[in-house]
Amino acid sequence: MVEISAKSVYKIFSKKKGEVYALKDINLTIESGEKFGILGPSGAGKTTFMRIIAGLEAPTKGELLFDEKVVARNGKVIVGPESRNIGMVFQNWSLYPNMTAFDNIAFPLTNMKISKSEMRQKVEEVAKVLEISSVLEHYPRELSGGQQQRVALARAIVKSPSVLLLDEPFSNLDARIRDSARALVRDIAEKLRLTVIVVSHDPADIFSISNRVGVIFQGELVQVGKPEEIYNSPKSFHVARLIGEINELKGKVIEEDGKNILSIGNLAIPISGGYRGEVKVGIRPENLRLEEEPREEGWVEAGKVRVKITTYEGGHFKVTLTPLGDDQEIIVFMDKIPKEEEMKLFVRPSKIMFFKY
Amino acid sequence: MMRERRVLSPYTKSVLHYIALTIVSVIWLIPVYAMIINGFKSNLEVASSPVLVPPSHPTLSPYMAVAHVLETPIINSLIVAVIASLLSTILGSMGAYFFYVLSNSYFRGSGMLSNFLFSLIALGTFIPYEATLIPLTRFIVDINLLNSYPGLIVSMLIFYIPTAALLMSLFVTVVPKSLIEAARLDGAGDVKIFFKVILPLVIPGFISTLIFIIIESWNNFFLPLVLTTTPSMRLVPVAVEAYTGGYGTLYNETFAVATLASLIPLIIFIFLGRYFIRGLVALGGAGKGV
Repeated sequence: MVEISAKSVYKIFSKKKGEVYALKDINLTIESGEKFGILGPSGAGKTTFMRIIAGLEAPTKGELLFDEKVVARNGKVIVGPESRNIGMVFQNWSLYPNMTAFDNIAFPLTNMKISKSEMRQKVEEVAKVLEISSVLEHYPRELSGGQQQRVALARAIVKSPSVLLLDEPFSNLDARIRDSARALVRDIAEKLRLTVIVVSHDPADIFSISNRVGVIFQGELVQVGKPEEIYNSPKSFHVARLIGEINELKGKVIEEDGKNILSIGNLAIPISGGYRGEVKVGIRPENLRLEEEPREEGWVEAGKVRVKITTYEGGHFKVTLTPLGDDQEIIVFMDKIPKEEEMKLFVRPSKIMFFKY
Repeated sequence: MMRERRVLSPYTKSVLHYIALTIVSVIWLIPVYAMIINGFKSNLEVASSPVLVPPSHPTLSPYMAVAHVLETPIINSLIVAVIASLLSTILGSMGAYFFYVLSNSYFRGSGMLSNFLFSLIALGTFIPYEATLIPLTRFIVDINLLNSYPGLIVSMLIFYIPTAALLMSLFVTVVPKSLIEAARLDGAGDVKIFFKVILPLVIPGFISTLIFIIIESWNNFFLPLVLTTTPSMRLVPVAVEAYTGGYGTLYNETFAVATLASLIPLIIFIFLGRYFIRGLVALGGAGKGV
């Protein structure tokens, strides 16, 4: 296990049109044994950051430390990737096509001074945990996607790495087996007490594996915290949208009978807090409900909405609504198809997020 | 209204293709045909009958007469060509891997350095042998290798390592960069990555390059001409050129010598030709490594 810290890390690519900042002033410490997620849209610099940790790239400015020992500084790699004891699962798995699954998994061990029998024992041990013992003599091209991913994972963990890096590890898997793969990775990491860094644009990967998340936007680390913290109180609308589905709405806060009311078209929601005038709010779909659905305490009626379209998605119906006299779209999820065209919308005011305009 | 177009039937089309292919093949094969049949003619007939007419009384005697002449040159050529081409293909492949790694390295300016060195090597490939005659000969004389196998091999390496690096670059760059990175993270050094990961994946390309260089070095006339001084060190192309028969030019025997001299590259190509084609195919299909 190892503690990794980045101190004002920059990565600047010089292009013909000038300099492109892939990473800007990243300051971060990933504790030993932590499961850290890096979330960001594509092109945000998250893979670059992971490659810097792996030693495949050098930071243009700044330092990277492993257990307080400098491994890269100001454009120079001081400790190379081969000496950092890193296990990495690549996005496309990068299995050696000319070797069997066994040889793939054993490859990192051949670079260490250990005996043949010990090597075989270690490979078989890992294969057993990952349930790939039966395919060890097969070549990668003869394996299914899920098996290939397990072989890649086995290759990454067989040498007991001090840190396990996962670069979009599930994006090449079928949706059907993605969840079991996530559970497997989490269990293995737990069992081997590994420091894990997972990079993904899919919040599901982050939620299932990590206990702390850093959100990268245009090369900048915008927010670091627990996944649910970022989900419930994101720093910006971009972060909010990245970590889950959210309705972005423009409205106005007005005072009525001494109470603050958020008005969006014909919808009126009583809120607390000192917001005034034009506001931008974010409301997650689970905090909105149509009148047919059951509600506990804390829900208030917001007003009538018109059902625009209903689609089916992942086990429930996704309903697109608009307030009357306004064309902003609101998305809610339901267990059944809404019966009428105009219905009452309920909302949990405490869960509404306000963002800078 | 659509204009009526005359469309050839698939059958007619393929017949036309084959006719075209046949014409090209015939043009290519005429000199080979002439070389082979004239070796079977007697000395009188080869001078009196037209070159493309087959012998009226085929005889093996010209071949028998020259067989011993080529014995030493063929052994010389085999030693030089096989060693030179194996060495240059292996070293050239390593060079190609080096350029690939260098162009992907994060060191500042490594991309430019890689491009510069690569251009230099490409330039080296296109320098004609004749232009290097004096410096090359001086060099080989200075290191005391004139008229020896090592001298011939060294001079061939000078020309064929760049050629191999150039050709192998086409194949090596098809291997995904992430495989090299994975191997590096697994703790492997460059030599191990090259032999365990890169080389097995570019074997078809490696064999294509090897065959190309064997044939190039086998047919190389100029280097053995200037770097050998005694008949016992002659390679096949020089021996063929030097052969004129006992007391005057015996054309039938010259043709026989030429035929025998072509046999070795032909045999190599027949046995390894499918790898040659496979290598070229792998290149065209952008060989999916993963």
